[in-house]
Amino acid sequence: MKTSAVFSAVLSLLSLASAASSDKGSSKSTLPSTFKPPQVFKNANLVHVISVEKNYVKENINVVVENIDKKAQNEYYLPFTADQISRLGGVEVKDRKDTSAGPFVAENVEFDPESDTQYLRIRLPKPLAPGAQQTLGISYYILKAYSPLPAAIKQEEAQFLTYTFSAYVPSVYTTSKQKTEVKFPSGNIPDYTKIPGSGDIKEFPQKQGTKLTYGPFDEKPAGAYEPIRVRFEFNRPVTHVGRLERDIEVSHWGGNVAFEERYTLYHRGANLSSLFNRVKWQQSQYYQQGNTHALKELKFPLRVGSIDPYYTDVIGNVSTSRFRSNKREASLEIKPRYPVFGGWKYPFTIGWNSDAKNFLRKTATGGFVLNVPFLEGPKQNEGVEYEQVEVRVILPEGAENVKYVTSIPTQSISSTEVEIHKTFLDTIGRTALVIKTRNLVDDFRDRELVISYDYPLSASLRKPFIVFSSTIAFFVAVWLIGNIELKFASVPVVSKK
Amino acid sequence: MRWLPAFLTASLAFASGSLAAKKTSEERFNSFHAKSIASSSAAPIKLSDASYREFTAQPRDYTAAVVLTAMDSRFNCQLCREFQPEWDLLARSWVKGDKSGSSRVLFGTLDFADGREIFMSLGLQTAPVLLLFPPTVGPHAVPNPEPLRYDFSNGPQIAEVVHSWIARHLPDRPHPPVKRPINWMRWISTTILALGSLTASYVAWPYIVPIIQSRNIWAALTLISILLFTSGHMYNHIRKVPYVASDGKGGISYFASGFQSQYGLETQIVAALYGLLSLAGISLAIKVPRISDSKTQGVAVLAWGGIFFVTYAFLLSVFRGKNPGYPFRLPPFV
Amino acid sequence: MSAETLQVLADVGKGKSTRGVLRVIILALIAGASIASRLFSVIRFESIIHEFDPWFNFRATKYLVANGFYNFWDWFDDRTWHPLGRVTGGTLYPGLMVTSGAIWHALRALTIPVDIRNVCVLLAPAFSGLTAVAAYLLTNEMTTYNSAGLLAALFMGIAPGYISRSVAGSYDNEAIAIFLLVFTFYLWIKALKQGSMLWGALCALFYGYMVASWGGYAFITCLLPLHAFVLILMGRYSTRLYVSYTTWYALGTLASMQIPFVGFLPVKTSEHMPALGIFGFLQLLAFLDYVRSAIPSRQFQTFLWLFAGGIFVMSLAALVVATSAGVIAPWSGRFYSLWDTGYAKIHIPIIASVSEHQPTAWPAFFFDLNLLIFVFPVGVYLCFQELADEHVFIIVYAVFGSYFAGVMVRLMLTLTPVVCVAGAIAISTILNNYLVAKTPTEEDQQAAEAAEKKGSKSGLKSATKPVVGIYGLWSKSLMVAGMAVYLLIFVMHCTWVTSNAYSSPSVVLASRMPDGSQHIIDDYREAYQWLRQNTKEDAKIMSWWDYGYQIGGMADRPTLVDNNTWNNTHIATVGKAMSSREEVSYPIMRQHEVDYVLVVFGGLLGYSGDDINKFLWMVRIAEGIWPDEVSERAFFTPRGEYRVDGEATETMKNSLMYKMSYYNFNNLFPPGQAVDRMRQARLPEVGPSLSTLEEAFTSENWIIRIYKVKDLDNVGRDHISATAFEKGLKKKKTTKKRGPRVLRVD
Repeated sequence: MKTSAVFSAVLSLLSLASAASSDKGSSKSTLPSTFKPPQVFKNANLVHVISVEKNYVKENINVVVENIDKKAQNEYYLPFTADQISRLGGVEVKDRKDTSAGPFVAENVEFDPESDTQYLRIRLPKPLAPGAQQTLGISYYILKAYSPLPAAIKQEEAQFLTYTFSAYVPSVYTTSKQKTEVKFPSGNIPDYTKIPGSGDIKEFPQKQGTKLTYGPFDEKPAGAYEPIRVRFEFNRPVTHVGRLERDIEVSHWGGNVAFEERYTLYHRGANLSSLFNRVKWQQSQYYQQGNTHALKELKFPLRVGSIDPYYTDVIGNVSTSRFRSNKREASLEIKPRYPVFGGWKYPFTIGWNSDAKNFLRKTATGGFVLNVPFLEGPKQNEGVEYEQVEVRVILPEGAENVKYVTSIPTQSISSTEVEIHKTFLDTIGRTALVIKTRNLVDDFRDRELVISYDYPLSASLRKPFIVFSSTIAFFVAVWLIGNIELKFASVPVVSKK
Repeated sequence: MRWLPAFLTASLAFASGSLAAKKTSEERFNSFHAKSIASSSAAPIKLSDASYREFTAQPRDYTAAVVLTAMDSRFNCQLCREFQPEWDLLARSWVKGDKSGSSRVLFGTLDFADGREIFMSLGLQTAPVLLLFPPTVGPHAVPNPEPLRYDFSNGPQIAEVVHSWIARHLPDRPHPPVKRPINWMRWISTTILALGSLTASYVAWPYIVPIIQSRNIWAALTLISILLFTSGHMYNHIRKVPYVASDGKGGISYFASGFQSQYGLETQIVAALYGLLSLAGISLAIKVPRISDSKTQGVAVLAWGGIFFVTYAFLLSVFRGKNPGYPFRLPPFV
Repeated sequence: MSAETLQVLADVGKGKSTRGVLRVIILALIAGASIASRLFSVIRFESIIHEFDPWFNFRATKYLVANGFYNFWDWFDDRTWHPLGRVTGGTLYPGLMVTSGAIWHALRALTIPVDIRNVCVLLAPAFSGLTAVAAYLLTNEMTTYNSAGLLAALFMGIAPGYISRSVAGSYDNEAIAIFLLVFTFYLWIKALKQGSMLWGALCALFYGYMVASWGGYAFITCLLPLHAFVLILMGRYSTRLYVSYTTWYALGTLASMQIPFVGFLPVKTSEHMPALGIFGFLQLLAFLDYVRSAIPSRQFQTFLWLFAGGIFVMSLAALVVATSAGVIAPWSGRFYSLWDTGYAKIHIPIIASVSEHQPTAWPAFFFDLNLLIFVFPVGVYLCFQELADEHVFIIVYAVFGSYFAGVMVRLMLTLTPVVCVAGAIAISTILNNYLVAKTPTEEDQQAAEAAEKKGSKSGLKSATKPVVGIYGLWSKSLMVAGMAVYLLIFVMHCTWVTSNAYSSPSVVLASRMPDGSQHIIDDYREAYQWLRQNTKEDAKIMSWWDYGYQIGGMADRPTLVDNNTWNNTHIATVGKAMSSREEVSYPIMRQHEVDYVLVVFGGLLGYSGDDINKFLWMVRIAEGIWPDEVSERAFFTPRGEYRVDGEATETMKNSLMYKMSYYNFNNLFPPGQAVDRMRQARLPEVGPSLSTLEEAFTSENWIIRIYKVKDLDNVGRDHISATAFEKGLKKKKTTKKRGPRVLRVD
């Protein structure tokens, strides 16, 4: 039932998302390099939640904005450093009061690329009247956020990471009241910056359990900055996928959807101070139940009904993988060839098949709708971050009129195009939709990618016809050649003997 | 001017070996050298306990190369017997090549029979042992007087190899090459044989031609050579395998255990089996269909077929012995 | 009912065209069978390149596909034999790579996205199918029975002697060379029979292809002249022989000289002299033949023949002189060692050390050819029956093939085709005699006896009488049943051998879990992948030459030595580094810019193919160059044993190889209980200590151990004192700690 609902919703959406590649360009508007955001808003109240529980940073800004300008305004700006903006992803903004308002459009402002402060522009769906207030929930992720300290540790030692941020949320508007909370994976936080408190609290932060709270602070001017550095234990791999290429190949003849994912995986944690020692490793596996900062295993919960998975790397099949598949789950658990320590690299490839009818529907109008997860990475406790993800959906040969819609934040989508992909005796090649995104994390695992396209019968019959005719042609040619007389004379050469 | 004392000492040496120990190394060298060039059979010098000590005594300004060997048949030291002629050859050609003794090398042989004490003192269990005593004084002196020991671990050595070894340890000195005496007897005999066979063939040409042209003979030769090669004869030839070996219990084992090894007799047995099988095959393929009498033919078929079957079965069982875990077998050898 | 169907089948068998179709179908099935029987390893493991040399061919193929033909042709590879490098393009036989490259491009043209690896893996099986067809053709030239051809194809398809080198994944030159060998022979026979220039040219063409593919082409180069020579001696000189041989030699030699690696060898080296000599001799004969036909005079002819003989002898003498004078290069070591069988052992230890250059014991023959090995002589004998030119070829081939196979295990490969052909001839003859419905009647018998009176023309004693046929139905059925059994056993034998002996890719090891399930030991690739991903792009890896190609192919890192053993000294250098003390090895490694050292160690798993077992060869080869610094003797205990435990000699214990193999090993066991499972030796209490190397990586089952060569010490100390110093420091610290505690107690 759910799916059908989805599809009906999708069909309505598709109309506006049609000709996807074209309308992406227009949404970005370039501003003069001398641009400064107008002081039209004021942050009445702000709560900044920074979560460093995973190996990426998730920040959550809940702010009550108030329009202090004469006329209605609908553009709210958020400043970042150039470095941050390059690592910023998955921005989602919604109204805390009414969730129905849906995600607001948020994108990077394009102006003077040399400037160190860059802005994120949030468009309110309907302009905010003067004096009126609105509660925004802004959430975003920052990748490659940590630096290990010490930078090199022993195999069996615990790993500590540091993260630096500002006690006051960076804002282009004055903030009358704010506080900043930091959530940690564990209570072991050896050192963190202390700053003089305000009001009845003499010193920030207050520590309760795995949480540090800076604030509440009183009014701060725009661009107020107070560096805070926290160092905390993180004895798990800092998994970073530099690039993920995800191919989804739809075959109507085979009634099959084939997935293939190529990972370039790094460990951004602390390096080994002395080189890898197998004895210690085996002992640690035995004694401390493998509680280590090395990456030993990746779990891929695939969609139910996924079959014949494979796990390879540059030099062939990797035998250390397990696949459990039944009615409830289809989970692929793979081990790297060697435990991946800080600074090490391990590129690999996995793939699997699935029955097409789990993903493909035929609409009343005769078109097809494909609904696949945009991202199916490993599901790890410590989380996984993806710097670049390139999803390539290869539709059958001759598919046309391709439209797509996805619930991935538009801010992360860097480009989309439809190209031609030739394989397996294709003549005109298959239609392939390529979506490039950046700075995603595994929180977006179950976001959907819905594609609709038309596939006329003639297109589906092209290949069999061509193969058949060319084979016949080949046989005829062979027969003709066979009939050519090669001998000069039909009389056999007589030997002198 | 130095030949006179040399001669004197030499004559003295002949007169009395008892004084030997007190001689200087110069004198010792001259005496031994004189002895070795005196007659070609005297090189290498045959040593005894006493003369060995004198031979290798320090200080010495010459190099002494001694083979400690055990020629007596009691020890049946195969290696010793194989190496001794080579050693003699080396010593002779060296001494001949260097009459003046400018290379200052002495060659000696000490047999266990007359050098028992030395063997004891050196604590030698194995023979032969080639010791090279470097000079301790004089131009070519080396820091440590310990003798170098030649390694016989990889089989008997030919003179040239040992020569190169010695030469390597005697830098900037003449190294007279090994000269193998030409074996006149062999040459003469071969030429005579060749000429004889030529004439014979010329005389007997008309009789030979049919033999040369007879298919049967050629066929026989071909088959025999094929059987030889395919039954691992070349392996025996190259690896010099024993003809038979005794199993632990006094008897002899015809078949070597293990896939990569075999005995001489074993290969002959196998060749015989192959031959028998081929013969049966030939008869079944060619002879039997040509037998015009039906009864004899039936018997022949039965006989050859039976032989083929049984031999093949036996061959399989033999192979199973070589390669345990080989699953296939035929009656009666199951 | 059944009778009718039988009748129908019989009728189907009648018509010529139907027979043709049947034959094609059967051939196709045979080809299919020969391909299928080579896929054990792919099914058991995966589509992977096997063993050592194939990894180089694979790498070369990838290079060819990536950089195009001309770059491949003059490819200088600086990632092997560091720092020398190797002129790879000019020192390999490109046929194999070019073939698979062409196939790959063809498939790409059809937009079939096939991985070049799969092309390489499946090339050998595919070509074995072709070989079966070639064997069919060749055999059909020998006999009139088509059944013989089909049998030969079947034998060729599944004979282990050939499968041993052509299972899926063994991507080596032999994979295509054997097909080319058989097919060239077929074309030669064809050309000889028809005296046709076209077939001769084709023969030359495929000969050229063969030269481009395998060093074993010398076998053809010597066999064809030999055949021609024997024919001449038998007084069978004919224009057919002249035409076919001349065409083949002229074109073939030109073709072969196009390969950089061969270049001018065909006119320079002794291996090729027979071909040249026979070529000249044939010209002479042709001339004389012409003269004879012109001037019919008895004495003149005899004079001419003497003249010819004289010329021949003289040219032979000239050849000998030229060789001794050094104008013509003497036989290359590898080739020469076939004649003087003791040669390699003394002069070329590297060749002697390779297992496939050992002589062949009889079980190997039976293992690889089973029933064929004794049916083979029968076939050869049958060739004597009607001794046409092509039969002479089979006979010559048989004798020499079996000689070579006896001398070198590897050359079993060249013997297999003729064995299959001859065996097929023999068995088909038998079947044709016993598998016929008609029994001889009275008049047959009379005819036979009559003919016997007349006597016959065949030269063989056993074949003087004419064929009568087999009388009794029971004797027929007996023989046929027997044959069926033998053939059945043959097929089962081949399958068994293939699946047990020839189907493991030695890169991946398989072991059985207690519950019988297969457990794959993948240490090689684990370590190679680690090297590939976590060392810098141009890190030099030092290992024994066996692993050079694999490191190049899988780890993609420069190596010092590899399986192309062209530079003995360089290999000896590595051998010396491995077998000397650290103080000696370290400078060597620094000079060669070695970053990592890789050793293979089977002590934990009981894996026999490890470096400690190969160690003596390293020592020997090093000793060959530095007899005064490395001595094999010093690695044996006074009692002449080769030991690794406490009894091991000091030289052994201090050798780099020993240290690297057992470093840290005893920490894996409770104190004093470290056991080397391979050599069943209890290791000394304290393990070896390394000062100039540090352990960088050890694979899961310890099969591969990788060590990093330390840089020079910052303070300029030598490493031994440095390590000693650190140890000392630690000790001091502990004493300091203990100090105050003692005070408190007082």
